[in-house]
Amino acid sequence: MFSSSQLDATSAFAGGGFSFTQQTQPTDSTPSPAKSRETQGLVPVTVKQISEASQSGDEKSNFVINGVDVTNVTVVGMVFEKVGRNTDVAFILDDGTGRMKCRRWMNENFDTIEMEEILEGMYVRVNGHLKSFQGAKQLVAFSVRPVTNFDEVTFHFIDCIHNHLQTKSQGEGLTPTQPQLVDTSLSTPMRNGLNGSQTAPSSQLSGQFSIDGLKSCDQLVLDYLQQPSSIGQEKGIHRDELSRQLKFPVEKIMESIRSLEEEGLIYSTIDEFHYKSTASG
Amino acid sequence: MHVGKKVRAVVHVTQSDGEITTGKSTDEHQLIVKGLPHVSLMSYVEVIGIAESDQSIRAETWTNFGNTFDAQSYNQVCQLANGEFKGLFL
Repeated sequence: MFSSSQLDATSAFAGGGFSFTQQTQPTDSTPSPAKSRETQGLVPVTVKQISEASQSGDEKSNFVINGVDVTNVTVVGMVFEKVGRNTDVAFILDDGTGRMKCRRWMNENFDTIEMEEILEGMYVRVNGHLKSFQGAKQLVAFSVRPVTNFDEVTFHFIDCIHNHLQTKSQGEGLTPTQPQLVDTSLSTPMRNGLNGSQTAPSSQLSGQFSIDGLKSCDQLVLDYLQQPSSIGQEKGIHRDELSRQLKFPVEKIMESIRSLEEEGLIYSTIDEFHYKSTASG
Repeated sequence: MHVGKKVRAVVHVTQSDGEITTGKSTDEHQLIVKGLPHVSLMSYVEVIGIAESDQSIRAETWTNFGNTFDAQSYNQVCQLANGEFKGLFL
């Protein structure tokens, strides 16, 4: 009754006509700018995000999270109420943000062997695709792996946050540059300051000013002072203007100014509040 | 703050005698956990249970996170999940 291909099994479950790509590539959390948003790998999400996801059309259409079509997801949580049958194993996944039903079809020996290892209350990483069945959201898993190093739990939540921020910045039409390590102490003021309101200056600076939300304050201050308009001003730029334009508190601006000055990248002009870039632009 | 509610915390075990386990939370507060079996000292344990007071939890579920858990990163995630990114988690 069930063929060896997982695709057929799940379409039987959904009542036919469900077509989706079986992607088993690992989570790609650093996409290059050229990659289209449709060709995603596994998207890291929390159960809460899934529960809030909408569907773009009817039951057979894709789920939408953060404005992007999402099919394959990866979730980390605890297994509860595991029920094993000949054809499939069903369980509830609780990741601390919510609980959702999961199902794993027993198509090959590998599926059975993998699921036998999974015990009640165990932390697992589940990779699968999102499905809607009779109004309820379900995760059809094609991979369930026990978590052995619990930093993976921390990592998964950071991954969800990271992915969320990336999708948001992509959605606002800003080109992300290659993401660097997220410095959580800096990310709060930067995100508030740069989301959408920054008008990109002339094209010669598009490289420097492309907003990825992860640039350090130092770099932003330097970029601003290296604009032709800033260089054109003989007395330099007042630090209050930097604070206003870059939306950073003055203390943060002063910190950046101090380190840039130490590096010899900027210098003070008429008083200790005005600064200019040492580069002649 | 969350007294009477279901909470979850990772505790670095400093003392374990019978019913009561004492430990340090990832944000450096002393926590008492009731209902845990004997756990080895210096290991990290994730406890999910009801907060009986500001400093104690009655455990319902627990998971041993081992000795090499990165408590600092986890603490930062907790802060982000309760603050800026609340919408993704709570």
